[in-house]
Parts: sequence; structure tokens; C-alpha cells
Amino acid sequence: MPSSHRLPISIDRRGLMGLMGAAGVAYAASSCAGPGSTSGGGGPAPTGGSATDTISFAHWRAEDQQVFDSIIGGFTGSNSDAGVEQDISPSQDYQSSAIQRLRGGEVGDAFTAFRGAQFEDMVAAGLFAELADQDFVSAYSERFRPVGQKDGTQYGLPYQVVFLMPIYNVDLFEKAGVSELPQDWDGFLALCEQLRSADVTPIAWPGGDAGNAAQLFNSMTMNNAPSDDYCAKIESGDYKCTDDWFLKTLGQYAELAPYMQKNASGSAPEPLQQLFTEQEAGMLATGSYHIAATRALGAEFAMDVLSPITTTAEEARFEGVHNATFILGVNSASEKQETAVAWLEHLSDPEVAGEYANGTAQHVTVDGVEYTNADLKRLEPWLSKNTALAPRYQFLDLDVEAAVEAACVAVVGGQSPEQAAEEAQKIVDEQIG
Amino acid sequence: MRKLTGPGRPHPALYLFPLPAVVLYIVFFVIPTVQAVQYAMTDWDGFSPDYEVVGADNLVKLATGGDSLFTNALTNNLKFLLVVVVLQTLLSLGLALMLLRNTKVSVFVRSVYFLPAILSSVSVAFIWRFVYDPNVGPINQGLAAIGLESLQSGFLGDPDQAIYWVAMTQVWAHAGQLMVIFIAGLQQIPEDLYEAARLDGAGRWQQFRHVTWPLVAPTTAIVVAYTTIQSFKAFDLVLGLGGNPPRGSLDILSTRIYTTFTNSEFGYAAAQSLLFMVIILAVTVLQRRALKLTQKGA
Repeated sequence: MPSSHRLPISIDRRGLMGLMGAAGVAYAASSCAGPGSTSGGGGPAPTGGSATDTISFAHWRAEDQQVFDSIIGGFTGSNSDAGVEQDISPSQDYQSSAIQRLRGGEVGDAFTAFRGAQFEDMVAAGLFAELADQDFVSAYSERFRPVGQKDGTQYGLPYQVVFLMPIYNVDLFEKAGVSELPQDWDGFLALCEQLRSADVTPIAWPGGDAGNAAQLFNSMTMNNAPSDDYCAKIESGDYKCTDDWFLKTLGQYAELAPYMQKNASGSAPEPLQQLFTEQEAGMLATGSYHIAATRALGAEFAMDVLSPITTTAEEARFEGVHNATFILGVNSASEKQETAVAWLEHLSDPEVAGEYANGTAQHVTVDGVEYTNADLKRLEPWLSKNTALAPRYQFLDLDVEAAVEAACVAVVGGQSPEQAAEEAQKIVDEQIG
Repeated sequence: MRKLTGPGRPHPALYLFPLPAVVLYIVFFVIPTVQAVQYAMTDWDGFSPDYEVVGADNLVKLATGGDSLFTNALTNNLKFLLVVVVLQTLLSLGLALMLLRNTKVSVFVRSVYFLPAILSSVSVAFIWRFVYDPNVGPINQGLAAIGLESLQSGFLGDPDQAIYWVAMTQVWAHAGQLMVIFIAGLQQIPEDLYEAARLDGAGRWQQFRHVTWPLVAPTTAIVVAYTTIQSFKAFDLVLGLGGNPPRGSLDILSTRIYTTFTNSEFGYAAAQSLLFMVIILAVTVLQRRALKLTQKGA
């Protein structure tokens, strides 16, 4: 009997229309991320406000969480109504999805950005509130401030400085009889030969990991290229991978290949850190960020950084490579900008920046910081040396960058420089249209 | 107001019950799919309020081989698919046949083979990243220990072999899981069919060919379809083994699309995603037809 199946609910057309309306609302909500959405408005961040909110601080450095917790403790100690909650994403996720997450303003009242494509995209999306009017900007070294600028406007402040050049075992160099660091290409090859004669792998290079492998690209190209903005010019089509200077670079990679560990183009970074820690490799061709990692593995020897100079000493424009990153910013879409500004001001205090630096074994861009960490102290002179701002972050197109850097890996793997260059240029041409 | 209820009709309120599922399906599948079509016709960068409508340009470029990175990823994916579908299906079917009986030993061995399936892909990737390390990995070390250095491989660093080594990892990780599905399918086959075949003088191979293979067809179809989709979506395994972005020799369609999204080319990535759906659909249909043909032939 039909009535026995009836429920004590009835529905008419109006009810159905209501349900369809609800579905429409859901549609609208799900469409918020699409084209036509408004981006953040930019504009200057507030000055002179008070810190009274609990803000979200978005970043990707899970390894810094405890140090930041301690720093947050200091911040809330002097701003009792304020709070900071860390919103930490893995670096790959942060790289790929931070813009979408931050632009609503619900997370990341204060946030960070990678130098390069992400910073550029975030500026273009209007995510950064301008910081030019903030007094604390002057706490940062003039040398590094431009990294957080776009068209002359200060949008962000890079916080960390890393040296993206090979780290080396000072003790092992001494044992191998290396008395002076090489100033030119011939000298660098001679150094490698000297290390090999001492039964040491001269260069441990993780060619199997694109991000780590490409750090050597900075050193290998910075003095060969005809200008400082050469990566940008490859991307704009002004320079080509088949140009003489790049072919020379690839040829030099081929010269280095015999001095690298076997199967270098397929090696992951972790076993090489171990190799370096166990003093079986003289250099780890990644960057200073691996000093702390090798210390954690038990390395007790002295370490420093050096860059292969690919030209003669007279022709060399740079001694090494640095990068200024972890760019701090205030979210223009945030309703808690005053507290976010206060948080950045707190981080800009040399004492606080020192706590961060020594706690995380990273140099910082804030002036007047006292480094107590032994590795940071040893590398401190590099902060004022003539180093290039890591050129590879000029690439804004990941596919162009990957193609150019992969050419170097391919050459170490045995491909001819000419063929590797042609293959890379083909992809570059396709990407830049 | 005219009511929608009436004698002989189901009560309209019954339509409310599937509504939550339908709404979720619409919001999380239908709308994003429609939006993907919309975005695929644009050059939207993923964050700007403005964009240009480029019509079918994105799809035409992809379909006509105008993007060698996408073509390379598709080629890699097809190689990966072929190895995984063939090896994983054969291996899991073979394991299922060997471990079909519910003895204590079989149950224990099944659980051992199933174990990799409960590991996350990222864990699997990191384990195998170590295994494949050309210098300290156990395979090359083992070969060196027995004097077979000439057989050592560069594994993931060898552009000609890299994708096949990833495929082997995928097979290792999922063969045990599919073995369980095959066991369930094989246990549905009535024993008297085998008895009849044996009475007719059928040997083991003939029993397999004329009884097992045709009757395990529905299970095989599920396994092959699942493996196919899994092969196209082996995203985390490839990123774990090859880094982000993976080099050209390891790039597959899912990682290519991810890189394109990361590259702030949302419109183009949406076009890639659409083509990706079409490719999976086409491959799955083709596979099902091929499978039916082989099983009819048996």
C-alpha cells in the first residue's frame, strides 16, 4: 500500500527550488577561486598600530618551528593581547599553492615567499602590503633589501642568507696538501686532481635531485655569462643555450664529471651527505644549507664554502654565490595587518634575528646580528664578499629553468654539450613561444 | 499549490535521501569539471582577476604535439603503463594462484606480499630511492660484491631506463594488493568445473586457459582498469623518487600537469587535465575490449 511508505514530509516545487538554490550557493562558493576573483589590493601596510590579534604566520620551514615558537614567546611577552600561530606547509606545497591559500586572507596574515617566481607572482597577485613606510626596514642590510622590491617598491624583506656554492672539508683539504684555494678554472681542476690523488672523491654532486644539483649551476655560469641577468635573458630569448658561453659551461661540467662520484647524474643528496660526513668526499656541491645537515649526521670537521671560478682570475666577476630568501611579508588581504606588521618588526630586531640565525644555523639579512654558531662565524666574512645573487632564481618559468639545468646533468651523464644545449634550447623555444 | 505526491508514486521526500551525495558530487566533481573546460579555453594564470580567452588553442597545441614536454610525459606514461599493467597483472595473478588455498602458510605469505600496499607512496619512494642509489644502494653494492660490476646501473640517473625502474617500484608496491582481489575472484570459480575439466583430460595449463582465465575475466577487468588509472596517477611515487619537478626521463602526465599548475599556467594546465581524462578513458575502453577479446578466444 503506497501510503504505508510515505514519510511525514512533503515537498512542493518551492521546496525543490530552495534546494536548487542551495546548490547554487555551493556553486558560487566553489567558484570563488576562479577567474574574475579579485586579488589582494596591495597598498601600504599600517604604521604605528598596536598588536592585539592572534595572527597566522605562513611559511615552509618546519625545521625552524621550535625556534619560531621561542621567538613567538618573546613577542607575546611584550604584546600580551597578541598571538602568532605558525601555518607550516612542506616547501613543495608552499611553492605550488601558497598564493591560492593566502589570497583570501584567512591564513598567512604574515607570510613568507621564495625568491624568484613565487615572489614575482605574489606581487602580481597583490598579496604583499607595501612596507616602505615601516621604520624597521632600515634594520635590514641595504645589500639584501632589493630582493624584496619590485619596481622600486619594498613589498617584502628577505630574512635568510645562504651561500649556494660547494661546501668543503677544511681538514681534508689540508691533509691533501691544499694550501691555497683556486682562483681560476685550471686551479680548480688541479685542486680536484690533488684531492683524487689523496684517495678522496673530489666532488659529491647530487645530479639525481634537480633542486640540489642545480645549485652548482650558479657557480658554473656566473662568470662565464656575458651579463649578470643571463637567466632572465635566456627566458626572454636574448640568450640561447647554444651560445658559446653556455657551451663552454657545459664543456666544463664534462671536465668535472671524472672528479664526481660514480653515476653522479643519478645520485640522491642524502647518501652524498653521508659520504661527505664520513670524509670520503672533499666537497659537497650544493650549498651552505647542508652544513647543518651534515653536522646532524655527525660531521665534526671544519667546513667552509668555495666556488669554482670558471674563467681566469682576471676575468672573474664574482667570488661566489649567495641567495637571500624567506621573504617576509604582510598579507594585504588580512584584517590583522597591524599585528602582522608588529610581528615583522619583532623579527627585525637584531637580537631576535640573532636568536633565529643561531638557532637555525642560517645567516640573516638583519644588520648587527652577533653570530655565535661556529659555522656561521666561519662563513660570516662571505656576507661582505663579492658574491652573485643566485642567478638561477631569475628564471620565472619552471620548464625553462628545468630544461637549462637538465642540460648540465645530461652532460655529466655523458651527453655531448652540443646535443644537450640543442635539446634544452628546443624546450626553451617552445615555452617562450 | 499542486503537490508532487499522489497515489502510486514514490513519496517525493525520498528524493531527498540521495541529495547530499548528489550535491557533493555536483560541487566537487561536476562543477570543477565544467570549470576546467572553461579555464582550458583561457590563459588564466591562477591568481589574476583578468584572463584572455584563447579558444581551443591550448588543446590544439597539446593534441598536435606542439608541447614536447607534454608529449614526452605521455610517452613516459605509456611506457610506465605498459610495464605496470602487464607485470603487475601477471605477478598478482601468479601470486594469487600460488596462494589460493587458505592454509596458515598461505595466509601469512599473502599478508607479507600485501604489506607494501599499506605503506604510503612517499615512504615507498624513499625506500626505493635508497635501493636505486647507484653508489650506496644494495643492488649495485650486491652486484659489486659478486664481481658483476658490469651489470651495475645508473637506475634513475639513466634517462633510457629511469621510467622502467619507477614502474618496477609501482609493481612491488601494489602487486600484493591486487593479488588479494584475484584471490577473491578465483575463489568464486566452482571447483566442479575443474573436476569436469580434469575428467576430460585437461592438464594444468588447459584448466587455466579454458576455466580459470575466462571465469576470472570480471576480476581481471577490474584489476587492469584499476592498474591503468593507478599508472596514470602515480604522482607521489614519481615525485618522491625523482624530486620536484622530476627530470624529463621521469615526467609523467600527472607530474607534468602539476608542474604546469605550479608554473602559474592554470588555463593550460586545465587543458592538460582534460586531455588527461580523455586519454585515461580511451586507454581503459581499449583495454576492456582487448581483454574481452582474449577471454572470448579462450
